[in-house]
Amino acid sequence: MDGLGEATLRALHLLVVGDAALWNIIGVSFRVSVSAILISAPVAVVLAFLLAYARFPARLPLISTLQSLQSIPTVVVGLLVYMLLSRRGLFGDLHLLFTQAAMVIGQVVIAFLFVVPMAHGVLAAADRRAWETARTLGAPPWRAMLTVLAELRFGLLAVAIAAFARIVTEVGTSIMVGGNIENFTRNIPTAIALETSKGEFAQGIALGLVLLVLALLLNVFLGMLQGKGEMR
Amino acid sequence: MNAAELSPPLLRLRDIRKTLPTGRQLLDIEALDIHAGGCLLLTGPNGAGKTTLLKIISGLEPPDHALVDYLGTSLAWPAARRRYRRDVIYLHQQAYLFDRSVMDNVTYGLHHGFGLPRAQIGKRVERALELCGLSHLAGRNARELSGGEKQRVALTRALVLSPRVLLLDEPFAGLDDESRNRTGFLIKRLKSEQVGMVVTSHELLPLAGIADEHLDLRAGRLVVPTRTVPRASAGGRPRNTEEQGHAAYFEMKVGDETG
Repeated sequence: MDGLGEATLRALHLLVVGDAALWNIIGVSFRVSVSAILISAPVAVVLAFLLAYARFPARLPLISTLQSLQSIPTVVVGLLVYMLLSRRGLFGDLHLLFTQAAMVIGQVVIAFLFVVPMAHGVLAAADRRAWETARTLGAPPWRAMLTVLAELRFGLLAVAIAAFARIVTEVGTSIMVGGNIENFTRNIPTAIALETSKGEFAQGIALGLVLLVLALLLNVFLGMLQGKGEMR
Repeated sequence: MNAAELSPPLLRLRDIRKTLPTGRQLLDIEALDIHAGGCLLLTGPNGAGKTTLLKIISGLEPPDHALVDYLGTSLAWPAARRRYRRDVIYLHQQAYLFDRSVMDNVTYGLHHGFGLPRAQIGKRVERALELCGLSHLAGRNARELSGGEKQRVALTRALVLSPRVLLLDEPFAGLDDESRNRTGFLIKRLKSEQVGMVVTSHELLPLAGIADEHLDLRAGRLVVPTRTVPRASAGGRPRNTEEQGHAAYFEMKVGDETG
């Protein structure tokens, strides 16, 4: 316990004094994961909307497939992206492997596969009168879609936050396509894995604390928004 | 026969057919006419397809087959829908109001449907709110209103678009007497402004003096019911149950099965 207590104190010290290596790792994590969620969530939500509101052949098999892929292991996504970006892969000429861009691509895939079925659940369970009302008042389909999404903003925001939590904490893809390169592609989860394997717990605990604080802040933020929504 | 019936129909739907995924034929209607300034009362048991019929007319739900005559042109349903979509508005049994202010709700169709800039529509919306007695609620979130107020906001939101046809699904359901009277007043006003209406209702009394045609949807077909909408009494609503009984129902001269 003394070792854990001591390591925690050192971790807090690292955070407070602004340890450059530590904050660089935090910066990489946020840069990559925020980019990934901003790229994937809008597209995923539009696809989820189409799956919930449009009628086209193969819609139901597509929904089932995407629901199954929601729980795909991140290392499998990492493997697929690795194969695509490796020198002999389809996009090998882009030389993206072991860059932050590769990490973003991997996390975009994970977030996309997470958001589509979750957002579809929110949209499919929603009141269809919102869509019908918007349409009967003359709104074109794209505007009616935006109106429905605005009506469901709290549920969809919760999905986006859950997706962000999933990608900011995932190790498999980041380590496979990022390579865990110091000051370049090392993010919070890969750094925790590395430091722990070396027996250096202080930095691992400090980074773990950052993730815990982040999770807490996101939940408080979401709770405040939902509370505001429930007032009505 | 009233003026609305004498005039050629504003909108005529022919050969409306709709089959449910279970294989049951829900609608098999030879023809349905909607006249400018006419009010067609549509009754029928639960599950008869009244709401589906209104949604087909409004363009919200596709039929298996339907032909539409509108403004001198005869088109199949999908093409016709695009042509008259802006002129026909459907109101749900329980009005759906967007999670925003009453003012923004009433503005919605003009801004997002007709593409008018907000600066141009402010006065129009304010006038409509005033006419419907909703000015004092303009800034309130629409979700906070009572059922009757919501119904009036939904009607105001529709009338500000100056529709040619209004389709009202059970507009009196769940309303108290005052809200019922106010809603009835708004419907009368729309009728006087030559808006053609189809109203489904299980309650006939609130439509006394408003409906000028009554059809019943039975087994997918439109038929003239044996008892029709009650006549408006000079003193308004019957005062007691005996009067209600004697106010009875009057027979109206309507067209054939198809109206």
